[in-house]
Amino acid sequence: MLLLAIGAPVSISIALPSALCMLLIVDFDRGAITSAQQMLSGANSFALLAIPFFVLAGVIMNNGGIAERLVNLGRVLVGRTPAPLAQTNILANAIFGTVSGSAVASAAAVGSTMAPMQKKAGYDTSFSAAVNVASAPAGMLIPPSNTLIVYSLAAGGTSVGALFLAGYVPGILWALACAIVVFVYARRHPDLKGEPWPAFSVFLVTLWRAIPSLGLIVVAIGGIVAGFFTPTEGSAIAVIYALVLSFLYRTISIKDLPRILYDACRTSAIVIFLIAVSTIMSYVMTYARLPQLIAESLFGWTDSKVVVLLIMMLVLLVIGIPLDPTPAILIFTPIFLPIAVSYGIDPVHFGIMMVFNLSIAVISPPSAPVLFVGTQVAKARLETVIVRLWPFLLVLVAMLFVIVFVPQLSLWLPGLAGLL
Amino acid sequence: MTTARAWLDGTLRAICVALFAVLVLLVAWQVFTRLVLGAPSAWSEEAARYAFVWVSLIGIAIAVGEKADVIMDFLVERLPLALQRVADTIAYLATLAFVLYVMVLGGLQQSLLAWNQKNPLLPLTQGQLYLVLPISGALLSIYLIIHIVGTFSRRYEGHKGTPDEDLEAAAL
Amino acid sequence: SCSSASGGDGGEGGDQPQTVFRVAFNQNAEHPQAQALTELSAALEERTDGAYKLELYTDETLGDQAATIEQVQAGTIDFAIVGGSLLENFESDMSVVNLPYLYESADHQMSVLNDQEIVGDLYDALLEDSIDVMAAYHGGVRNVYSSVGPVETPADLAGQKIRVIGSDTNVRMMELMGGVGTPMAQGEVYTAIQSGVLDGAENNELIYSSLSHDEIAGFYSRTEHLMMPDYLIAAPAVMEGMDEETKAIFEELLAASVDTELELFNTAVEEAVAAAEEAGAQFSDADVDAFREAVLPLHEERVTTERTQAVYDAIEAARG
Ligand code: NA
Ligand code: NA
Repeated sequence: MLLLAIGAPVSISIALPSALCMLLIVDFDRGAITSAQQMLSGANSFALLAIPFFVLAGVIMNNGGIAERLVNLGRVLVGRTPAPLAQTNILANAIFGTVSGSAVASAAAVGSTMAPMQKKAGYDTSFSAAVNVASAPAGMLIPPSNTLIVYSLAAGGTSVGALFLAGYVPGILWALACAIVVFVYARRHPDLKGEPWPAFSVFLVTLWRAIPSLGLIVVAIGGIVAGFFTPTEGSAIAVIYALVLSFLYRTISIKDLPRILYDACRTSAIVIFLIAVSTIMSYVMTYARLPQLIAESLFGWTDSKVVVLLIMMLVLLVIGIPLDPTPAILIFTPIFLPIAVSYGIDPVHFGIMMVFNLSIAVISPPSAPVLFVGTQVAKARLETVIVRLWPFLLVLVAMLFVIVFVPQLSLWLPGLAGLL
Repeated sequence: MTTARAWLDGTLRAICVALFAVLVLLVAWQVFTRLVLGAPSAWSEEAARYAFVWVSLIGIAIAVGEKADVIMDFLVERLPLALQRVADTIAYLATLAFVLYVMVLGGLQQSLLAWNQKNPLLPLTQGQLYLVLPISGALLSIYLIIHIVGTFSRRYEGHKGTPDEDLEAAAL
Repeated sequence: SCSSASGGDGGEGGDQPQTVFRVAFNQNAEHPQAQALTELSAALEERTDGAYKLELYTDETLGDQAATIEQVQAGTIDFAIVGGSLLENFESDMSVVNLPYLYESADHQMSVLNDQEIVGDLYDALLEDSIDVMAAYHGGVRNVYSSVGPVETPADLAGQKIRVIGSDTNVRMMELMGGVGTPMAQGEVYTAIQSGVLDGAENNELIYSSLSHDEIAGFYSRTEHLMMPDYLIAAPAVMEGMDEETKAIFEELLAASVDTELELFNTAVEEAVAAAEEAGAQFSDADVDAFREAVLPLHEERVTTERTQAVYDAIEAARG
């Protein structure tokens, strides 16, 4: 915290205390070697590759005029809705998350496309970054979702199919919660009101101009849905499609390539470094069995279902702040799930609660990969983004408690499908 | 000094750009071999991860060199210049401590430990992958020392907030 | 900002300080290997008057298997259970015990892999890399499962993209079996099968059920192609730090835990099959002889050194 206040990089404010804590549990040499090893295993993941690719695709789309055509189309479609570009951003994240299942990838892809557009249209940069950050995790709930697959594993094989169906309504509610905050914000900023509905001919022209750009979405998202490639591979295909189209439009030349590649590389390097050093923190906590100690000390003095659930959610919210969702789920599911089940809570419902909860954690400072990606791609300042993120966080926490105490929201769809 | 710095910046950028281009091609190749050739390449995913780790860790060195890393300096920028100097120096020294201890010392030991650990799909060892950590650490140290020296130079300007992003305007 | 809460060498227990060994494991606490180690720990604690016990870190919380091997090498943790294929990266001759269609039964596998006469020389080669192999555990029998249909003969696998462990040997094995071996990170496999990037994968019944792959690839065919062992490995300092008496107790308990684990594994397979059938999966037998025939060329291709030949011959000779 002190390091943060004096303006040290956020990464170091996480990394140095983690390395120091490592020294408390192992000796000097092992502290160094294990921290180093954890940094590398944090970065060495094929799934993370989607981050630089989607950032790169976004940079190319903006340089190549592809994004502009898409956003123009979005504009004529949403018309008079207040803050139309921000609402488009939320919708794009929800759709994108449907295929990728990764909040970080979503924030990178959608943010790097939408942020420059919103800036041009006069939106406050930090506000547009906050909207993007807040809405990106919707995709962790809307299936397919890697996070729900991890939970299924930790919960001893709870049906992934049931979890996926259970994620739809909460995922959509997440996006809705963001839309409401944007709506309120837009009413206080009259300059963000929408434009009149265009004439039909204008709509057709805009659509015609956007068709090759729409092809990007068709190829990347369609290819993933149709089973031609995995989401990570789809991100590389998106890069190539955007590049070819930009060459055809003659908006990008070979000469521009190094600059574009470098720009995307730097942005993603900053994010990956943050993820790498956060891994040290996760390891220290796990090694010291800190989460178990906290959990054990908190239960036992109450047998009220409501109180127990509240404690669990608060612990996850707090612990999820420094911990990434995957280790958090792997560590806490075996501790919490048996207690929850003993109070009659369905494992599918509990999984949705956990993922919703930890989705809030990935956007809550200080350790928040999605927040950092969103801030980086928008080229905004972290502290102002955080200020604008608060209303979203409050509404999302309120929404979390709705999800926790209204099980039907999660269990209705899988129940209909006969999966419970 | 300035020419040496420019040369270093340029070289590192070129390395990053080249690695990043290779990265895109590797993943595209993976899709191509599976969909078109019907014989999925086993090594491309592994190679892509190697290239990815390298590009990320070399990239962070340049990002820190350009002071593009994520920081929160809204408190610092309100301090008088002399105190900003102190704060910056502490921040750089803290970063340097981490970089030297974990990335250079730890990274080097980890790299040596894994030097003979073969990769099942590539003609490289795990230790060679890990070598990027001490290399990136050394580069980071160079940039951090340049920044620390810069903090005490006459041209030091301290932190300045960007006017279009005033905190007061942030309230809903 | 963080408190020291080391679960490590605390002073509880008997009159001597207690040594707590950290053990990394990549699956959950109900897995037969975790259960066997929990039992081993209880017996060890009792036999040593509370001087030694094990503490399990399950669910991959200390990192994936490759990462936990490195932590054992560095001495940050004491033990890890790791898949056989990973040790090939340190000593390529280890690959001989991971060949497809090598063992006729789990008992055959366990008896040869825990026989120092047969594999002692092979395991000792790993000591150079600071890896001390303590025991080999049964890790199940890997079979092919698919979303397309039951796989009875190699011809049934034609054109099917089957996820395999990322190594040349496994890709080649699947090629000989008739399919297209496709290495992919385990975390991406579920959605890849669901969307059709993959047609199936190959693994034991436990993993098949616990990863819910039974929901998306309902045809599980007993090709019985691979029986890959898992190893309990230790940092060399662990055994060096034990007195002779404790060492003897520990080795005795290890040998017993190998048998316990095999029994637990068989029960767990039955439960996993029942759970998968409930989820809609169909289990069927395959023409094992046809597959074995097809894959045998791989044995000649991969058994190339004197040491691997000696181990290979000894395993063959131990067939019942
Ligand atoms: Na999703
Ligand atoms: Na967080």
